[in-house]
Amino acid sequence: MMHRRRMLQTSAVGFGHVALSAMLHADAARGKDLRNPDSPSRHHFPPRAKRVIFLFMKGGPSHMDTFDYKPQLQADDGKDLPFDKPSVQFAATGKLLASPWKFDQYGENGMHISALFPNVAKCVDDICFLHSVHGTNAAHGGALLKLHTGSDNFVRPSMGAWIHYGLGTENDNLPGFITICPTLAHGGVKNWGSAFLPAEHQGVPLGVASKPSTDAHVKFIQNRRWSPAQQRMQLDLLAGLNRQHLAEHAIEPSLEARIASFELAFRMQSDMPEAQDLTQETEATLQLYGLDQPATSDFGRQCLLARRFAERGVRFIQVTHSDTNVQWDQHSDLKAGHDKNALEVDKPIAGLLIDLKQRGLLDDTLVMWGGEFGRTPVAQGTNGRDHNPEGFTMWMAGGGVKGGYRHGATDEYGYYAVENKMHIHDVHATLLHLLGLDHLRLTYQQAGRDFRLTDVAGKVHSEILA
Amino acid sequence: MSGSRSHGRSFLGWRGGIAISLALLGSVVPLASGVSHAAEPPSPEDLTFFESKIRPLLIAKCVDCHGADLAESELRLDQLSGMLGGGVSGPAVVPGKVDESLLLSAISYKDSALQMPPDAKLADDEIALLKDWVARGAPHPEAEGVAMPAPRKSAIDLEQAKQYWSFKPISRPEVPVVSNPEWAVNPIDNFILAELESRGLVPARPVDKRTLIRRVTYDLTGLPPTPEAVDAFLADDSPAAYARVIDRLLDSKEYGEHWGRHWLDIARYADSNGLDENVAHGNAWRYRDYVIRSLNRDKPIDQFIVEQVAGDLIAKQELERLAAAEPAAAAATDPAGVAVTDEIADLRIATGFLTLGPKVLAEADKVKMRMDIIDEQIDTLGKAFLGMTFGCARCHDHKFDPISAADYYALAGIMSSTQTMETLNTVAKWNENPIPSAELLAARRTHQAQIDELKARIDAKFTGAVAVLKADDSIKAAAAAAEAAAAAAEATRAAEAAAAAAKTAAEKAEAAKAAVDAAKAAPQPADLTAAPAVAEPAATTEPATANSQTAAAPAAPAKPAEKPEELEAKFPEAVRTELTQLREQLKQLEQSLPKIPTAMGVRDEAAIADQRIHVRGSHLTLGVSVPRGVPQVLAPAEPLVMPTAASGRMELARWLVSPENPLTPRVMVNRVWRWHFGRGLSGSMDNFGLLGEPPTHPALLDWLASEWPRMGWSMKNLHRLILLSNTYQLSSEPIEQNLAIDPDNRYRWRADVRRLQAESIRDGLLAASGLLDGSMGGSMLHVGNHEFVFNHTSKDDTSYATYRRSIYLPVIRNNLFDGFTLFDYSTADVVNGDRDTSTVAPQALFMLNSDLVLETSTALADRLLREEPADDFNRIVRLYQLTLSRVPETAEAEALLQFLAAFETAATAAASAGEAADGTNPAEAKPDPRREAWVAVCQSLLVSNEFHYVH
Repeated sequence: MMHRRRMLQTSAVGFGHVALSAMLHADAARGKDLRNPDSPSRHHFPPRAKRVIFLFMKGGPSHMDTFDYKPQLQADDGKDLPFDKPSVQFAATGKLLASPWKFDQYGENGMHISALFPNVAKCVDDICFLHSVHGTNAAHGGALLKLHTGSDNFVRPSMGAWIHYGLGTENDNLPGFITICPTLAHGGVKNWGSAFLPAEHQGVPLGVASKPSTDAHVKFIQNRRWSPAQQRMQLDLLAGLNRQHLAEHAIEPSLEARIASFELAFRMQSDMPEAQDLTQETEATLQLYGLDQPATSDFGRQCLLARRFAERGVRFIQVTHSDTNVQWDQHSDLKAGHDKNALEVDKPIAGLLIDLKQRGLLDDTLVMWGGEFGRTPVAQGTNGRDHNPEGFTMWMAGGGVKGGYRHGATDEYGYYAVENKMHIHDVHATLLHLLGLDHLRLTYQQAGRDFRLTDVAGKVHSEILA
Repeated sequence: MSGSRSHGRSFLGWRGGIAISLALLGSVVPLASGVSHAAEPPSPEDLTFFESKIRPLLIAKCVDCHGADLAESELRLDQLSGMLGGGVSGPAVVPGKVDESLLLSAISYKDSALQMPPDAKLADDEIALLKDWVARGAPHPEAEGVAMPAPRKSAIDLEQAKQYWSFKPISRPEVPVVSNPEWAVNPIDNFILAELESRGLVPARPVDKRTLIRRVTYDLTGLPPTPEAVDAFLADDSPAAYARVIDRLLDSKEYGEHWGRHWLDIARYADSNGLDENVAHGNAWRYRDYVIRSLNRDKPIDQFIVEQVAGDLIAKQELERLAAAEPAAAAATDPAGVAVTDEIADLRIATGFLTLGPKVLAEADKVKMRMDIIDEQIDTLGKAFLGMTFGCARCHDHKFDPISAADYYALAGIMSSTQTMETLNTVAKWNENPIPSAELLAARRTHQAQIDELKARIDAKFTGAVAVLKADDSIKAAAAAAEAAAAAAEATRAAEAAAAAAKTAAEKAEAAKAAVDAAKAAPQPADLTAAPAVAEPAATTEPATANSQTAAAPAAPAKPAEKPEELEAKFPEAVRTELTQLREQLKQLEQSLPKIPTAMGVRDEAAIADQRIHVRGSHLTLGVSVPRGVPQVLAPAEPLVMPTAASGRMELARWLVSPENPLTPRVMVNRVWRWHFGRGLSGSMDNFGLLGEPPTHPALLDWLASEWPRMGWSMKNLHRLILLSNTYQLSSEPIEQNLAIDPDNRYRWRADVRRLQAESIRDGLLAASGLLDGSMGGSMLHVGNHEFVFNHTSKDDTSYATYRRSIYLPVIRNNLFDGFTLFDYSTADVVNGDRDTSTVAPQALFMLNSDLVLETSTALADRLLREEPADDFNRIVRLYQLTLSRVPETAEAEALLQFLAAFETAATAAASAGEAADGTNPAEAKPDPRREAWVAVCQSLLVSNEFHYVH
């Protein structure tokens, strides 16, 4: 039984939803239960969000220079850290280093936001800050894998793949899980892979981090030889060949599915470019995302694409901010590096939040922001900060979270998460919860046991639910 | 799968801590906590200490939960037996053993998985008190005259566990009697037919010869049959025709290239690390070629397995044996290493199996890194050879299978006594073993002699020039200069003569000395007494290096110290030019010195040691030590004796293929069956544990597993047995009556219709189009060993632009060839004995638009236009033969002719309308509409279902 179920599942779910009806008919003819017993029943409880846009800041943005205001750090600049550093550290660090940026208060609750994010600051009333996130790995590779897959030492499905596995997609002609300009380093494809989940749950990459977002396309979506008319003729010939072959080999669902897959591919060839066609956007929208400015146009385009995919029912959209270096990784020259990085993303992110809101999409779209870890309040060298997985800030907006809210806290310098500690597993559990999925029940059996995104841990932080 | 099946909740303990609903470690662990001794009666002082300091503390902080009422995690701290016997995680207190007492570990908050009390850490002085108490031997009033409790009974009942089908000894089932004995060609058919008959199923008719040769050719070689091979088979009416085809295919090099790839799925083979730091496995290809070689030579699989687990140790024994036999030869070892034969090289290459896994190479916690690597090895060993999932037991006894944490750490002791890594420093590097051949070492010696000779020449040239220079500088007479020049010339000649005469490295030193002596012997200008020392050899093995590298080498200058480069600047231009040229030659010569080849692989550690149980998998909470060994449920009656001076891999390897281990032959024959039929007799290829699928034909599986070792573990003979069976030669016809009973064909009443695997899709496209390059072996990586295939830049310069067979494409983890990823290739991260077959739209996009398909379609069209220049119909026949191994029906040919005409017309119109598709190659700016039509037809055939499926 297993085999056929698997075959059904691998053929009939998600991006490339192929010939399901044909196969169901074939099954119905044999009096079979049509429900796929390997697939979890969609929602476990009513969802607060229908889709996710994850804005990933590669390299580890510094929390106490952006959203986690630490007046004590400002006061104790140059002094020794008055408590122990972690037993395992990435690099040697020195004394406390005050933030070089000024913090102002924004929103109804007067929240402190640094001068790095003046535009996002204006959206604080929609943002729920998670100040007590912590992970376990102090190196980029391990931390990226932990954040994206829940495991830093085993190959596990990515969170987007789990969500796609749990919820499927709303648009069969587009991938259900898209990652725009992802980094190929530090885990690379594993960060959007499906591991042991069926292959159709893996993320579909658009471009890579090393290339501009204008080059971000799905692979093989265009033909360089045939015109659409020529390809149509060719597909008709192919369909004829395949149908005759099928007639000689009676009922073979996989053959039927493969015939349908070519028709779907042909439709995708037109739907995907349409989804990416920004000429349909107004000048005002382009400006809102910063597409009119050189510094912001690349990331702005990624954010705008994310909104267009969200509108079209894509379930999980990741947008990666990474250049050919490890973008937010300021081991030195914190000031110059973070100034540049924040400038590139601040306007586009604010634009995305404003645009989603004005289109009524923010209610059921969860926007999540963060890096693989934060940075140390103590200096590396004279003017840099080291990796810090012990406590850092991520934030969420829309999709059922409280706006203008701060959850958890780090110590007075921002080194360790101390209050309402939120492990990466907890972030995942809470994320799934917002989507109507119980992280304990979203399981897949493999190699002798059931696996979860949250491994054997994870706690939903219900305090942040709106 | 319902949500309730998740067992995750049972892991979530009270008050948010991670609780420990784990099975008991006690009884499977050898008694390391002094259990058998009666305790010394505690002294009155110690008892006072306990009553005044310890008991109140325990009552205040611990006993609420760990007392008679709740006994969380089955642990009680209100009585001594509870503390010593422990809870589900094992003993809480081991008297006198501070670092083995879980209680102390828990209160120290060192391990995030076990922190007690959960609400707040105890005060430092409280922690110190408890530590002191344990160190004193845990004095307790209950200890007086009370024997230590016996360890708990294990949750694993070994005797019961051994009754599970896969752990039972392999039986030798009777070959069943069937009602239609004519049908049964060999015992496989008896087993299959007996099952069919008992279920009211009838076998399908035999397959036709065309379909059969296509099936068996793809099956054994991964390639389509050539039209000539099809014709020959059809023309051969003898009863042995099919057996001859099988023999021919098994003898072909393509057999090893296809079946070797199956094994590489098991070995999670890859040419890069993947995971966190994606660096190149620059020598992994040697393992891949070893696998192909082994299969093509039909190496017995028991030997193949032993080599991969312990080849380095066999090589060591072999070299020691040779050394004992020929002490003289052994004494003449080369400083670069001992020459090894191809056979010994293969033994060292084979253990690459243990090294190939993905590793976190930038882990800051080195102990964790080491245990993670060992974990990956145990996981792979378990699945690859035993079909067991050991990974669970890293943290706790396996939930379903009779594998305890102690079993896990018994294996971990073997692997931690094995050196896998050369360094753990970021970015960590794996160990490699040298595999120099005698020829290579000889070539190196010859090459080194040339280097030494050239160095001597350069030094002599320099020395001579200095002599001339000093003579020139001398305020003495021009005559003296001339004399010096003559002397220098003489010195140079003598040096060159001596150098040229030198033929060996040893002689080289002499030569250099001679050159120096000659220079010394020449009449010396007054102020140049020290100059000849320039070329004084430092040691006989490193002669005359002083000036051969650069002019900056020390020149042992005289009073006003002049540096060599300053001296050289004063040389005549011709001399300087010549020196530069010679040094350039030297540089090239040194760079081209043949490198000692190395292979990924392991060796034994210097320190051999058992491992302690890592409670909940954490290296911060160590439990008792476990002797190295194999899992208890599989342990032979006569226990394995682990050597004290070796890791125990040899013993492990021999046990794996011993008659006492029933799993390895079962797992292996099940895989071979899977690769022939598309599904194993048990469907869970890599899991023969309790959650695996029991076999549909247990008797057949056991019969094969008992028969195969008798056949000498020969793969080729096993193939013959299976392929010659009637069961394999069934057609794929559906039979109405059977479909009602067994729609999934679990009982093998017909052949399944199967899609080609990823490699065969690519290789089939290349073969049909005539582009396939059949050359074997070697590396196709474009970066050096340990270099990044992806660093932080995300720049992708992996190249898959080759027409060689798919098995030779680099397997870059995280960036596999798209044509592999899309078609269900192994991810190359974990053992994969059962690839999926998915059908998704991106596959169709690849077939419609990828370079590979467009290139092969074009090449096929050109091939047809070339091979059948005159006749469209003949060309269509040839197209069908090359792609589908058959001739077209008349109607099919006519349909294609119509399409050709229509497409050509449309292409002509499009060309004149200037309606070229995007990205048209400028070189093909004016495509020939006729050729375009043929390309379109070829592509349609190459992407058709019939091409991609075998019946």
